[in-house]
Amino acid sequence: MPTVVRCWRCQDEHIPQVFCPACEALQPLPPDIDYFTVFGLARDPVLDEQALANTYYDLSRQLHPDLHQTGTAEEQEASLQNTAVLNRAYRTLRDPVQRGQYWLELNGEQLGKENNKVPPDLALLVFEVQEQLAAVREAQSAGTDDARAGLKSELTQVWDDLDDRMQGLQQKLAANFSKWRQADDASDLLSGLKRVLSEMAYLRTLTRDVEKALSIF
Amino acid sequence: MAYTERVIEHYERPRNVGSFGSEEAHVGTGVVGAPECGDVMKLQLKINPQTEVIEDAKFKTFGCGSAIASSSYVTELVKGKTVAEAGEIKNTQIVEELALPPVKIHCSVLAEDAIKAAVADWRGQGTTKKDAA
Repeated sequence: MPTVVRCWRCQDEHIPQVFCPACEALQPLPPDIDYFTVFGLARDPVLDEQALANTYYDLSRQLHPDLHQTGTAEEQEASLQNTAVLNRAYRTLRDPVQRGQYWLELNGEQLGKENNKVPPDLALLVFEVQEQLAAVREAQSAGTDDARAGLKSELTQVWDDLDDRMQGLQQKLAANFSKWRQADDASDLLSGLKRVLSEMAYLRTLTRDVEKALSIF
Repeated sequence: MAYTERVIEHYERPRNVGSFGSEEAHVGTGVVGAPECGDVMKLQLKINPQTEVIEDAKFKTFGCGSAIASSSYVTELVKGKTVAEAGEIKNTQIVEELALPPVKIHCSVLAEDAIKAAVADWRGQGTTKKDAA
């Protein structure tokens, strides 16, 4: 990955960023730029999601191809390219699970198959919720209005519980990451990080199934 | 990737779907999950406490066709085996029987884990529950 790029207009050398810090000309981001750098952030999976969203909207506006219609060919091209990179970067970073996985990849790691062991209580929870969802699907075609209303409120409660659990995992993940940053030898912390990420991924798939079921009521 | 005939066969006519009543003794239950695909599998083994032979098995799986087929096949495979024999079943056996493609190998691993979890659950029940009936 290039650590320094040169401005196409004023030849200033700087780390990749959307606008040249010297002459403010729009710069094409290198295609292999890491997503944290796109937002001017340190490579840290724990971040302020609201601030990330704000930066995303600001950059989207500044990069919008409509704004650069009268610019040079380089600027028009950069505006299109950067918008695509920015959107990809935001889609990845806004989600804690994808962000964590991406961060792992940047560090030469990934959520491998060896991390597919989930704690028994989580597997049981997923099983029970899936049974509930199966009951919901049945009631939706055959049940009375009362039964459907009951199921809907049950399912809403399930969603709340899953959301609480997800928040708990996010806090655990953040705590693990800060430990990882401070540790001299962090290799043994990685497996714990992967485990939490993998639990989050599992929980999220389930949460989406619940949301899909809720959307049909 | 299309499913193989044997996967489809188990998927369309799964063997031993369901669960044992909570009042039944000598039942080991294993629930295992695969976070990368969202699948979850429950396997129950009814075990003769004297001979340690698995007399019956039931499963319920929420997941893809290969996961359902893997667990369905496992219920057939373990019946009549002793707990020790069942513990030696390897996922490769499931892969071969169902001709699972590489992307579905994790389904067979899940089924192998389910056997181990069910056996561990049964062993962990201690003497009190085993002697109950």
